[in-house]
Amino acid sequence: MSIIIQDLTKTYNPDTDFPVTAVNDVSLKVEQGEFVAVMGPSGSGKTTLLNMLGGIDRPCQGRVIIDGTDITGLPDKALIGFRRDNIGFIFQDFSLLPVLTAKENVAFVMQLQGRSREACEARALELLNEVGLGDRIGNVPGKLSGGQQQRVAVARALAPKPKFVLADEPTANLDAQTTYGLLDIMQRLNEKEGTTFIFSTHDPRVIERAKRVIVFEDGQVAEDRCQEVGRSEDADVGN
Amino acid sequence: MLLKLAWKNVWRNRLRSGIMVAAMVFGLLGVILIVGFMKGLTDNMLENAIKYQTAHLQVHNPDFLVNEELGAWLPDADAMAREIRAIPGVEGVTVRQVVDGMLASAASTRGVRINGIIAADEAVVTSLAKSLVEGGMLPKKGRNPILVSRRTAGKLNLRLKSKVVLTFSDREGEVTGAAFRVCGIFNTPSSGFDESNVFVRRADLMGYTGLDQSHEIAVRLDDGDAVDRFKNLVKGVVGGRGIVQDWGEVQPVLAAMQGTMDISNDIVIGVFVVALGFGIINIMLMSVFERTREFGMLMAVGMTGGKVLRLVVLESIFLGGVGSLLGLVAGMLMTAVTGKIGLPLGKMAEGLGAFGVDAVLYPNVTTATYLGTLGMLLVTSVLAALYPARQILKKRLSEALAEKH
Repeated sequence: MSIIIQDLTKTYNPDTDFPVTAVNDVSLKVEQGEFVAVMGPSGSGKTTLLNMLGGIDRPCQGRVIIDGTDITGLPDKALIGFRRDNIGFIFQDFSLLPVLTAKENVAFVMQLQGRSREACEARALELLNEVGLGDRIGNVPGKLSGGQQQRVAVARALAPKPKFVLADEPTANLDAQTTYGLLDIMQRLNEKEGTTFIFSTHDPRVIERAKRVIVFEDGQVAEDRCQEVGRSEDADVGN
Repeated sequence: MLLKLAWKNVWRNRLRSGIMVAAMVFGLLGVILIVGFMKGLTDNMLENAIKYQTAHLQVHNPDFLVNEELGAWLPDADAMAREIRAIPGVEGVTVRQVVDGMLASAASTRGVRINGIIAADEAVVTSLAKSLVEGGMLPKKGRNPILVSRRTAGKLNLRLKSKVVLTFSDREGEVTGAAFRVCGIFNTPSSGFDESNVFVRRADLMGYTGLDQSHEIAVRLDDGDAVDRFKNLVKGVVGGRGIVQDWGEVQPVLAAMQGTMDISNDIVIGVFVVALGFGIINIMLMSVFERTREFGMLMAVGMTGGKVLRLVVLESIFLGGVGSLLGLVAGMLMTAVTGKIGLPLGKMAEGLGAFGVDAVLYPNVTTATYLGTLGMLLVTSVLAALYPARQILKKRLSEALAEKH
């Protein structure tokens, strides 16, 4: 699995006197199993890039090719199906359904794939155990801490067995200890399931854990580097 | 899961949904009571009209319907009555001679319709005997007994055994008359009927008019809902000898009133349902707008537009359904209680008496009305969800996800 970004450009308000180019002629390639941090200041175009990678927004120019499929050319309905089956999303504010339990939140996205209830529940339990929430499966998000909610969101993102996970500033609302715990979990899942993770962040704690760091400035790639990373020893995953 | 999610979403804001449900319950309760009251009113008028005046079917000479003259009698009335009585499902048949005349007492005079009846037959067809408040029915023996209403008795200063004089035209067109003695005083719910009708034995009346024929056959059926079927059967018996009319043709004003009342009840329910629909739209709009980002997340993780629409529609149906069911159950209970103990009309009773309405009213709502209202409310709930759902679905996904709420 590889993600190929070719000459990607996104301009907002293109037909007005004040067009804003958020992503400007970007080309990248992300390979299977990478743990990538896209960093840069606010307004640099990180979220716009991730939106186009996830098929949430369409580019004005260029192509996003995921595992051989040019998603920029997919019709809306096919794009929804592609997102559902191939891409996991983790949001800054967790975006869990507040009326469903942790298990139901994870199982729900798999049910959208048409899987059986039993299969969805079994996978949800497996993933919630994996992220250290096996004893919280019946809790609704309001009864979980911020770190626990984000771990449910990680489990939800991985539930449909996506080819890659897009995380938009996943640690922005978390304290240091919780952030390290979460990063440990994501690193472990990255290694265990071979799932590609792409983060947008300006959190140095995330950046230091990324195997590859892409620095974004003014809608363009200013730097693209690989680095050696370790794993925290003192992370408290129980938070 | 979609059903579960929709149900739980409805109760996310319990206060807001609770207020909406309460508004529906009280609104429906009011509408059901209004509809029940109006239906009870018309049903009561019709029931009394059939019970005391028209019966279910009547047979007349066609000329009698144009001009109620003595000469417009019905040929072979007694024979026809026997044939009609033989039809299975016919509860009773009575044959009347009917003459317009004047009723005079020492105190006053008034115009009345003189009904010459056979007491035993009349007791099966109308509730005249049950409406007697003093005295008894026309006896078989004794000289010229007469039944007058309490109103007439009051206006003519009559009591039991008071003497009155009836004057009317005989067969030759000559004015004739005779003295009668009050043997019973009746009181029906219709003041208009009471003031304009007196009852004497048919044989007595025939003796004074010199006409041994009758003008009217009244038929009471076992099943009041089968009037149309029996009308045709009676028509078959009567043939060309007379005109068969059902109660609606005899009392067209009542039939029209019933139709008008049904329409006005439908309008009341319709207006309420539309108003409720706007209420649901308002609630659903608030609900989906404050969850724009959540809908964005659902669509991002693969929920199709169709499923989003289904979710919003289900939420709307649950909200409307709960309010409708609770409102209808409350309405049914209230109607059942008031339908049993009745609603005293108080001062209104006197005025409504002119239309044949009892002093105590029993609200009545049909099962069809309950089911129809529930159906309309559910359909309205579905329609009310379409606009809010469209507002969400037409948003760009990236914009929905960028919403702060």
